[in-house]
Amino acid sequence: MTMRTTRNLVLLAGLASMSVRATAQDPRLPARLDAPTIAAINAVVDSAKAQGIPIAPLYDKMNEGVAAGADGPLIVKSVRNLSMDLASAHRALGALATADEIKAAAYAMHAGIPAVELGKLKRQSGLRRSLTLPFTVLADIVSRGVPVTTAANAIRSLVGAGAKDKDINDFQRNVKVDIEQGAPPAAAAETRAKGATKSDKPDKPEKTDKPEQIEL
Amino acid sequence: MAEWGRTTLEMIVQDLQRPVVLDESFERRVMVRVRRLYAQQRKRKGRAWVAISGTIAHRPAWAALIAAGIVAIATAGVLKARPQSAPITVGGPEPVKFVLVAPGAMSVAVVGDFNNWGLNDSALVATSNQGVWSVTAPVPVGVHRYAFVVNGKQWMADPTAPRSSGDDFGMPSSALVVEDSTK
Amino acid sequence: MESADGELVTRVLHGDVNAYGVLVSRYRDRYARYAVHMLGNREDAEEALQDAFTRAYRSLSRCEEPERFGAWLFRILVNRCRTSGARRMRRSQTFVHDEGALLNASEEHPAEQTMWREEIERAVGELSPDQREAFLLKYVEELGYEEMSEITGVGVSALKMRVMRACDRLRVLLKEVHSG
Repeated sequence: MTMRTTRNLVLLAGLASMSVRATAQDPRLPARLDAPTIAAINAVVDSAKAQGIPIAPLYDKMNEGVAAGADGPLIVKSVRNLSMDLASAHRALGALATADEIKAAAYAMHAGIPAVELGKLKRQSGLRRSLTLPFTVLADIVSRGVPVTTAANAIRSLVGAGAKDKDINDFQRNVKVDIEQGAPPAAAAETRAKGATKSDKPDKPEKTDKPEQIEL
Repeated sequence: MAEWGRTTLEMIVQDLQRPVVLDESFERRVMVRVRRLYAQQRKRKGRAWVAISGTIAHRPAWAALIAAGIVAIATAGVLKARPQSAPITVGGPEPVKFVLVAPGAMSVAVVGDFNNWGLNDSALVATSNQGVWSVTAPVPVGVHRYAFVVNGKQWMADPTAPRSSGDDFGMPSSALVVEDSTK
Repeated sequence: MESADGELVTRVLHGDVNAYGVLVSRYRDRYARYAVHMLGNREDAEEALQDAFTRAYRSLSRCEEPERFGAWLFRILVNRCRTSGARRMRRSQTFVHDEGALLNASEEHPAEQTMWREEIERAVGELSPDQREAFLLKYVEELGYEEMSEITGVGVSALKMRVMRACDRLRVLLKEVHSG
């Protein structure tokens, strides 16, 4: 059964009227953005395109704002701020960063992590490892009270030790639980990072003398 | 000229970092070559790309369930077996299961980057099993922000997923990184 | 809505040739800069970049991380620039033709600005290909040494040495210009 069919059945059952109305169709929310807002957002997007930064997150932010019922000026401000963070993240991570890494880095910057820390992490990790999840977890633990330097060091040590995404996920979950149970955030992050790198003994990243030569 | 040093190096780099904009015709020229190659490939092989054998992957991304209160999980679980004749699929959407334990809720939906935040009736409607609300949907590989909408109006973050910053509109949200199960 | 690289690569692999056009327009200007500086003129740079895009298309099924298409393409371009033979010195065509960029230059001293640019370009052109490659990757493309190592296949310490020597050489070349 497809998701759409399931949804239709739910609608028929009369539940939908209470569920999905927090959308643009809700009369309490602006049904459409007004012309000045659209023009302002288009200008931000055009500028982002010219700089070579990902634009999908900007549309996502606009949609989020509309869905949340925000007014036009606030949506434009948020889209513009995100565009600046994306540009800074792009500069910090370099030309070879993926769109997802740039997006994750921009939100990490929004959480208070300086671009320079993210750039360091990127340069340390090389090309083989995506930093999308490490940046996301970094932002998360900082939002839970782990000091930026401690958090960045913890993530750097994990990535440096070759931790996989699963290890990074486990680290986030453990730090979160520790803090919820009353541990000082910095101590939780430091201890869990040490634990992760000691016990897991992840594989060292492969090091080859020559890069893959692409024969054509 | 200023004395050689960091400033001079910065000036050199700044100059070399000026954007280089190619003529619009560049893209057309590349695409002429690419289309020719495509036509040759089709002619030679009868089909463009050779399939590779499938793999079975199972990748839980967020897996935790806490007993008390409102608890949620978003799990990316994949069990795929591609037939040998099928074309390779790379980086496509992966099924993600969103779960929210909310015994008192009348309805639960999921909105996020992957469904335009529920605009145009695109929110994912969860179904309840004795207060454990869940919905599974294909989500593109990548990083996303999302939130649960409880009773059609209350936005809440996923308590078990990483928090996402950027709650510019006063609504909490979570972060979800969907991995490519083909790797 | 903008599509991710991985999605576009998938579409191309399924026969949607037009999706490749999106990738071309996404990366052409971003990587043109490296090719122009590495090869010293626009004509050769366009040829190298065009070749890199074509090679990437032909071997797209071997792109192991489609979401990192950009990095993969860049590696192909770096290899292509290396093998494009001796840098042809067409100094008169170099950068001065980048009129758009020149118009954005300082308007206070346009002549000085143009001269300074020509000097920089000439000095970069005087570097050995290895040094030029290392310098451009490190400072202009702002890559870390690990990334540079993965792209070029050269060890980190050797790359550091090349960058250092490139800086030394640039210093000498630019001082010579100004003193003499």
